[in-house]
Amino acid sequence: MIPTSWFLVLGAILFSIGVCGVLVRRNGIVMFMSIELMVNAVNLTFIAYARQLHSLHGLIFVFFIMAIAAAEAAVGLAIFIALFRHRDTIDVDEANLMHW
Amino acid sequence: MILEYTVFFVFAAIAVIFGIVVIAHRNPVVSALSLVASLFSLAVMYILLEAPFIAALQVIVYAGAIMVLFLFVIMLLNLQKTIEPRTHPIQQFLGWTGSAAFAITITYYLAKGAVILILPSTPFEASARTIGISLFQAYLFPFEMVSILLLAAIVGALVLSQKLRPQVPLEGAEQR
Repeated sequence: MIPTSWFLVLGAILFSIGVCGVLVRRNGIVMFMSIELMVNAVNLTFIAYARQLHSLHGLIFVFFIMAIAAAEAAVGLAIFIALFRHRDTIDVDEANLMHW
Repeated sequence: MILEYTVFFVFAAIAVIFGIVVIAHRNPVVSALSLVASLFSLAVMYILLEAPFIAALQVIVYAGAIMVLFLFVIMLLNLQKTIEPRTHPIQQFLGWTGSAAFAITITYYLAKGAVILILPSTPFEASARTIGISLFQAYLFPFEMVSILLLAAIVGALVLSQKLRPQVPLEGAEQR
């Protein structure tokens, strides 16, 4: 059997890639994709621990996380469409209307 | 045994490499397709972890529905040609080194032995049947809440993305 910690390490690496994408990129949609990558890394960790602890609760959490990620993607992309209509860009640095 | 390890390493490498392509490529369409590849290899990981139902959900919901939504928005806004200005060099440096330091630290502590866990050899029941029974008994209330959340998200997305029309005064309002 593959040790659980290998899956945890893979999840940690994917999470770090997602963090790096959010910090480095300015394209709003690519930042969103990085967030999806982080969500999936956490899902992998949940399932690895569910397997380790013989518990279904982790799998059900993953189910809910997927539903909430879908809702978040729909609303977030709608916000980017609205931003693009007003500013003709999805560069997040341009969305500075409320910047003091 | 050997086959399991081979599958794990091949698909772990695919997930990580395509994950890096997602954040490094300039073209958002290439990023989205790389994310699909990364999510597919995570579905393989779920099958290795004996959760085939979640793996199927991953392919259908994530790689299917959510990524189609992303691609649809990218093509709707015609973002393939736009050139993204580079972030500030300090921000680039801090982003890369910070996340690399985070990855190295957490990998070190996971590999050091504090959390080294070996899988138990007994089979793990994670079929659609057991998940469904648990979902509709213990987790019935959160399940219904999620359906309301999805409805609210649909309404919110429609309201946010509709075209702004010029305000036309109501006909009855002038006569009063």
